[in-house]
Amino acid sequence: MRKLLSFVLGAFLMLNLVSTNAFADAAKGQKYYLKFMKPATGMNGAEFARLQTQAGWQELFEGDATKFVEKYSKEYPALQDFLKSDKFPKSMTHIKDFCIEYAVDSGKVPSC
Amino acid sequence: MKFIHPLLLGAVFSVSFAQSDTDALKTLELQVKQLQAQIEALKANQDKISTLQASLSNSTMGDGKEVSVTKNADDITLLKKQVGDIKKHTAGDNVKWDIDFRTAYDNLDYKINGVGDKHNGVWTNKLILGMSASPIDNLVFRGALGAYKIYGQNNVAQNSYFQNFDWYGTQKPSDNAIRLREAYFLYMNEVGDMPYTVSFGRRPSTDGFLTNLRADNAEPKSPIGHNINMEFDGASFKFDLDKITGIPGFYAKLCLGRGFSDTTGAYSMNMSIMGFNPGYINADQNPNMDLAGLILQLYDNGQYKLMGNYFIAKNLMDMDITGMGLTGPNFKFSDVGDMSGGALSLQVNGIGDGWSDFLDDTIFFASYAFSKTDPNSNKLGVITPMGTISPMSGMLGSQDSKFGSSIYLGLQTPGIFEGDRFGLEYNRGSKYWRSFTYGEDTLIGSKLAARGNAYEAYYTKPIAGKNLVAGLSYAYIDYDYTGSDTFFGWTGTPMDVDKTPGAVKSAQQVRLSLRYRY
Repeated sequence: MRKLLSFVLGAFLMLNLVSTNAFADAAKGQKYYLKFMKPATGMNGAEFARLQTQAGWQELFEGDATKFVEKYSKEYPALQDFLKSDKFPKSMTHIKDFCIEYAVDSGKVPSC
Repeated sequence: MKFIHPLLLGAVFSVSFAQSDTDALKTLELQVKQLQAQIEALKANQDKISTLQASLSNSTMGDGKEVSVTKNADDITLLKKQVGDIKKHTAGDNVKWDIDFRTAYDNLDYKINGVGDKHNGVWTNKLILGMSASPIDNLVFRGALGAYKIYGQNNVAQNSYFQNFDWYGTQKPSDNAIRLREAYFLYMNEVGDMPYTVSFGRRPSTDGFLTNLRADNAEPKSPIGHNINMEFDGASFKFDLDKITGIPGFYAKLCLGRGFSDTTGAYSMNMSIMGFNPGYINADQNPNMDLAGLILQLYDNGQYKLMGNYFIAKNLMDMDITGMGLTGPNFKFSDVGDMSGGALSLQVNGIGDGWSDFLDDTIFFASYAFSKTDPNSNKLGVITPMGTISPMSGMLGSQDSKFGSSIYLGLQTPGIFEGDRFGLEYNRGSKYWRSFTYGEDTLIGSKLAARGNAYEAYYTKPIAGKNLVAGLSYAYIDYDYTGSDTFFGWTGTPMDVDKTPGAVKSAQQVRLSLRYRY
């Protein structure tokens, strides 16, 4: 039984090594925001997400988030390195999800 | 018009030079008349266009307010803002509810020394109704009601004195009662560059940092789950220090709580005067049980998060057997002393920096926790192996201060399908390890309280987006000593499971679940 369990777990791990995950996730978006954007904006994630309405974020992230990159590169020049790096396209869907989830009109209430 | 007149004159002169007879003049006159008619028609059309433009650019609405074409863009922007404000207003000024419902099957299996295996299959429904409201930007209310029931009627009330204990009322399955899980407000403000938050109420103190992963909750609740995971009433004072210190995510939170209130309640009987006591006076049975703790988020940049806590708990209690009544022993609580403890926990959310998508989406954590008892000299009645009652003092079976420790490791990775997650956890507790993890949602008892080794593997798979998720988990606890997860006095006495008849040597739990969240 233990051998079988070990085999199944091992197989899972091996498969996972070659898999990718494209599931948009607000929690991951928050992680990416904290890691890549907070140092440049000086705002915590909740403050940043509240800069726009949900529709506003949708518009900014339309297509390849060209408007988002343009706007925040201008407002926070220190963000340019990240927004124009190859890290941004990878994290963009998650950051978008996070921004929309906590937008000013989302009705989301800050937690403890 | 400016172009038409010169053209007409040009046409007239050019024709007059080209033709000199009468017919030619008549033809010219006719042409001029036709052109004049066309000019008049053009003039009329021009007037109509001008009138229409004027009416569009200077029309009025029914209420007399002016609406301007040139102002349309501004009006649309204004309307957008108004719609946004309405949306924000309706979203923020009302209590918003959320639903977290899980239906599950738990298969439990125990190996008991000298008794053999015991196993059971338990079906449960767990419903948590979350609520939140924020009437103004810096004031928030949050609450949660919980019902966690075993399928159908059950007989647990006949078997357990502690089934619906206040510390885990919504975290252990029982009947269909709805209980208060969380209710607190947050008041947020700033002193200079330091934001602070004040909060009172029933705390969000279950499934905290690290343990939120096994609970499949994206956001951890307040304390570190390694050593504190239970329902609690109290207050917190949080100070955000990151702007002052420049350390990402640095904050300090002072937590105060009361775990036991000693009181007679309403209309209690005073047998010496054969009458009623005044309401809610001190019952003179047990001191209030209080806890003070400091939670420090030492660093959080999204990828690396380091948290620590330290607490002092006063007047911890155990059961005091006062005598054998007609229906069996009489129990009451009495305090056995104080305890302190702490934890230091690191979570790495994404291993490396862009090494692979898999590692970017992998979470690893490691945590160390300790506990230290400080027994008093109170003597409590205990049942001896001979079945008699005799007085005993101490905590965890000793009149000396005892130190316990625990390590807790975990790994969570993406699975093979979209959005699925796979997790592995391990923890080990020493002989005198004691945690406050009574609210851990594991039917075989808190694995993090184990004095021995505990292992867990879990898998979560979204079925209908993030709203319906299937879960499969397996937990195995291999005990070295008894007394994990009980009270703080003689009931927590660590005894070798291999030498103690009736001791649970190992426990395992398989859970299959479907969870709806919105």
